[in-house]
Amino acid sequence: MSTRTGRKVGTPQGVVGTSPLRPDGIPKLQGRFEYAQDLAAEGMLWAATVRSPHARARIASIDIAPALAIGGVHACLTADDVPGRATFGLEHPDQPVLAAQEARFWGEPVAVVAAEDLDTARRAAAAIEVGYEPLEALTDPEEANRRDEVFRRMRIRRGDQSVRGAVVVEGEYEVGMQDQAPLGTEAGLAVPDGQGGVDLYATSQYVHVDQEQVVASLGLRPDQVRSHPTGIGGAFGAREDVNLHIHLCMLALHTGRPVKMVYRRSESFTGHVHRHPAWLRYRHEADRDGRLVRVEASVVLDGGAYASTTSAVLANACYFAVGPYTCDSVAVDGVGVRTNNPPCGAMRGFGAVQVCFGYESQMDRLAHALEMDPLTLREINALETGHPLATTGQVIQTPLPTVEVIKSLQAMPLPEAGPSDLPTELPGGSGLTSEPQHVTRGVGYALGIKNLGFSEGSDDYAQARVRITDSGAVVETAAIEVGQGLVTVLAQIARSALGISHVEVAHVDTSKIDSAGSTSASRQTQVSGGATLEAAQRLRERILGQFDGDVLDDEGVWRGDTLVTPWTALAAGDWEETVTFRHPPTTMTDDNGQGVAHADFAVAGHRAVVDVDVELGLVKVLRVDTAQDVGLALNPQSVRGQIEGGILQGVGLAVMEELVMGEGVILNPTFTDYLLPTILDAPEVEALLIEQEGSWGPYGAKGVGEPPTISSTAAVAAAIRAASGREIERVPVRPQDIALP
Amino acid sequence: MMKLRFASPEMLVDINEIPDLDYHRVDDDGTIRVGAVCRHADLERSSLLDTRQPTMAAAAPLVADPIVRMRGTLVGSVCHADPQGDWASVMTALDASIIAQGPNGRRSIAVRDFVLGPFQNALAFDEIAVEAVVPTPRGMPAGGYLKLERRVGDYATVGVAVAIDRVGSQVGRAGIALTAVGPATIAADAAAQKLTGRPLTADNIGEAAELAAEAAQPKSDHRGSADFKRQMVRVFTSRILTGLLRSEEEAA
Repeated sequence: MSTRTGRKVGTPQGVVGTSPLRPDGIPKLQGRFEYAQDLAAEGMLWAATVRSPHARARIASIDIAPALAIGGVHACLTADDVPGRATFGLEHPDQPVLAAQEARFWGEPVAVVAAEDLDTARRAAAAIEVGYEPLEALTDPEEANRRDEVFRRMRIRRGDQSVRGAVVVEGEYEVGMQDQAPLGTEAGLAVPDGQGGVDLYATSQYVHVDQEQVVASLGLRPDQVRSHPTGIGGAFGAREDVNLHIHLCMLALHTGRPVKMVYRRSESFTGHVHRHPAWLRYRHEADRDGRLVRVEASVVLDGGAYASTTSAVLANACYFAVGPYTCDSVAVDGVGVRTNNPPCGAMRGFGAVQVCFGYESQMDRLAHALEMDPLTLREINALETGHPLATTGQVIQTPLPTVEVIKSLQAMPLPEAGPSDLPTELPGGSGLTSEPQHVTRGVGYALGIKNLGFSEGSDDYAQARVRITDSGAVVETAAIEVGQGLVTVLAQIARSALGISHVEVAHVDTSKIDSAGSTSASRQTQVSGGATLEAAQRLRERILGQFDGDVLDDEGVWRGDTLVTPWTALAAGDWEETVTFRHPPTTMTDDNGQGVAHADFAVAGHRAVVDVDVELGLVKVLRVDTAQDVGLALNPQSVRGQIEGGILQGVGLAVMEELVMGEGVILNPTFTDYLLPTILDAPEVEALLIEQEGSWGPYGAKGVGEPPTISSTAAVAAAIRAASGREIERVPVRPQDIALP
Repeated sequence: MMKLRFASPEMLVDINEIPDLDYHRVDDDGTIRVGAVCRHADLERSSLLDTRQPTMAAAAPLVADPIVRMRGTLVGSVCHADPQGDWASVMTALDASIIAQGPNGRRSIAVRDFVLGPFQNALAFDEIAVEAVVPTPRGMPAGGYLKLERRVGDYATVGVAVAIDRVGSQVGRAGIALTAVGPATIAADAAAQKLTGRPLTADNIGEAAELAAEAAQPKSDHRGSADFKRQMVRVFTSRILTGLLRSEEEAA
């Protein structure tokens, strides 16, 4: 037994509050990281999907014989081959695994094939003869609303509905359909286990809910399907819904061979849900001092052909329709309509993004009408801890530093007056399109708010296990790393709680651990992080109790200066702790939309600086500075990474990212035509992290993934408005909206 | 063409190894010759073009992106005959020709006759394009090229090439051609005609811009509405010519 003299308690490395190197960082940079696209198995077949070329059509016949006649084709499966439940869905199972009598959106899967190689699979898919009888497609959301083709209606009434203000501003706003555009397309591998079961490795944000849906549609017992976390090249909400998962498992069980499928880019654009396009109508009323006395809003979201998460996205849009402001007389009506457009669902910001563009445009309009500084108006109305949310009336219990966000933005220095002397810094960039004399500058502000974690009474939980190993400890979880840094932050939490440096995170499949819930709603750091913290704390207490120690470090258990249990002895024991963490309960709201719908909130603000060539309609987003409520930054570098990436996605929605629809058909399903911001379009970002204790997340941390995307779009739009004098009632702002309003 | 899946040829002939086709040069009489393997990047970095052919100098750095400019060629771009291609407009505005070579020798085809339609050119099956020839200017060459992209690296929403030769205070020759606003590159001859044989003035710049806009045949698509594209033709024509007028006035 060794002793120590004057030895300080070992300080573990890589704990919370630091920014240790990501375990997946260097492999990703070096191209060694295994993404779902890289999966392979001995004897593997390749799969391809037959998709409807119509937004709506009756399927009169499907002839698979020509495909089966091609050498090397092992299976062609249609709706008739789905062994179990014919439909799937994240919240409501309303979407056919394969379209049967009717195809309801352009790109809907109708059949799947498996063949010896990819080319053969695609040739076979093309050879399948589907007899379509095109039907009239419902693509106008207003018409769908009139026909009562809806997934959900929301009605919120709070306070005295007769209140009127001295100053009134009204507006109508529109948000185009943004795509998550993950660089890694949908991909997966299903491996039959030889006993009627299957192992699925596929792009996912939520393996347990995939597994449930595969089990249902394959008609198997839950223990026969194991869904494994795998390497994800971007998610942003696109990986919540099932797409190729059931197809792969069907093909694998049908052929008895491992089957792989990777979507092409154009398939990816139809193979996952999109951000809901939105049509918003607002009426804000204020007194002459700028206090909001009444807000009325109408929200229409196009859910597309199937439910996905439209109900929850609509709820979010309505609950956050007033933004981070207090108001005691509120009326919000919302509808998520069913059309023959592509299904829409989860995307970073989840409904809060669309309404933010509406309410922040309104706040600027109101400031203008009151001849008031726009930030002053926001400060006067700021929603803070202790206030009721304007819509649901839920009193905010956790820290909500809205005023500090506003004051931080006010204090941030503005860049030098422009435009730049560098031609590549002007609108049009290295296209050298503009000249300084044609350029005007604008500055715009926006604030946004969103819930953290699942809402409306859903049982939101995450399980994590912390286990002692030979080298330290491992955190086992089914929570998905999508690039945000979860594997890093869970290890940091465990290191801090255990007091040791050597902690790794291991992803385990659905048979080995209970659900961690979805990697969405900015929730994993708080929820899986909470489970990890509690498991690690309990494990440490049990170990110290067992050995009557007072300190645990990488060497083992210490009592005073004496190492009473070296690590090797600890590792020989069977030390593990499994915890299921639940955040504070929420409830479904009542008929007036009142109730405690949310577990936690985060607020952020953005200031955008843009240069605009008004005659050409070209915009250069120079800077987007931000202050964000983060609770506690467990990994400051990852937090900044989320902020910068989220802002870029917000800039994308502000000025270029849109799926353009024509009668239900996506007209630009390629990266040639669907524009993503590149590094040349990335603004400079100064990010101020506002830390306040009091959230229920581990060490007071809040989720940080979504707030950067919520108000950055509205801030850029406001800056364009300031530079151009145009009303800017729609995002993305297209050149023609500025040049030819 | 292969990338666009328009063609899947059984055999490809690589002309990269043919010696001495990578040149661009200015003959004593001012004629500019660009070999078939001369890269966009060679033209972008060329010290010859700034003064001898400003329209080409303006267009060279705007072609595609830096990676494409390292491998792609002017002659190849004209042969590709993409209505969104930049060089076909520039060459049309300059009244340039393509030299085709086949078993029966060489022939010269004016670029405006060479581009037949989208992705279609006038080469016979047994010919290759070996050179682009920009004729001797009839005075001091001036001009510019402007292109609107929704985002850097996107295909052109609209492009306008303007080339004039100044003779004293007069415009001796003018060419205007339009990118991406029709099924093929468009020669805006009426607009150019408006400028020829008189001095540049704000008035005739306005008239030329209007005529150029009229010559455009844009379609509405995800890059912009037809009205917007037409307006951009107007603005670009006006901006380029106004810039030339300003530099003329500054020089005077």
